[in-house]
Amino acid sequence: MKKVTLYTLSTCPWCRKAKKFFADRSIPFTYIDYDLADEATQGTILQELDAAGATGFPFAKIGNEVISGYRPDLYASALKS
Amino acid sequence: MEAESRKKALHYFFAKVVEPLGFKFTPDVELVDFLLEQEVMLEGKHGTPFCPCQPIRNDRARDMQIVCPCIPFHRQHFDAIKRCWCGLFVHKDVTDPDSLPQLSPKDVGRE
Repeated sequence: MKKVTLYTLSTCPWCRKAKKFFADRSIPFTYIDYDLADEATQGTILQELDAAGATGFPFAKIGNEVISGYRPDLYASALKS
Repeated sequence: MEAESRKKALHYFFAKVVEPLGFKFTPDVELVDFLLEQEVMLEGKHGTPFCPCQPIRNDRARDMQIVCPCIPFHRQHFDAIKRCWCGLFVHKDVTDPDSLPQLSPKDVGRE
C-alpha cells in the first residue's frame, strides 16, 4: 500500500475532510498540522508546498504523487495507480 | 468582544467587501459558521482574521495576502475556480458550491 502523508491545518474544514477520506477507508496515513508544528517542520512543509505550486491546505502525498486541495477523486486514482 | 458577536460583525463587513468583487458567501451555512468561527479564533491569536486554510508564514508581505477576504490578492485564481480557497465565498452565480473542486493555482494555470 502506498504511503500517505497529509499536511493540514487544525482550522481548515477541507483538511478535516481529507483526514476523514482516508480514515473512512481504513487507509493508514500520517498527518502534520502545520499550525501546530515547530518552526523547522513548518519551513520544510512550506518548501514542499512552494515546490509543488500549492498555496494552501490540505496537501497530500500519496506515494510519489502530490495533490493540493481536497480532491477525493485524485486521492482515489493515486491510491489505485 | 464575544465570539458570536465578532462572527456577526465579520459577516456584515465581509459581505460588503466581496459583493463588488462579484462574490457572495457560500450558501453552505454550516461551512460559513465554521470558517468564521476559525477566523475569530485566529484573529484572537494573531490580531488578524487570516484564512483558516492557508499557511501563516511569518512573512508580513505574504501573510497580508491571506487576510480574509483575500480575493483581491488571488483574483485570477479564484475567478477561475469560482470560489476562494477556503470556500467561504463563491461567485455570485454559484448555487451548488459542492460542485466546485478545490483547484490549486497550478491546476488552473495561474501559478
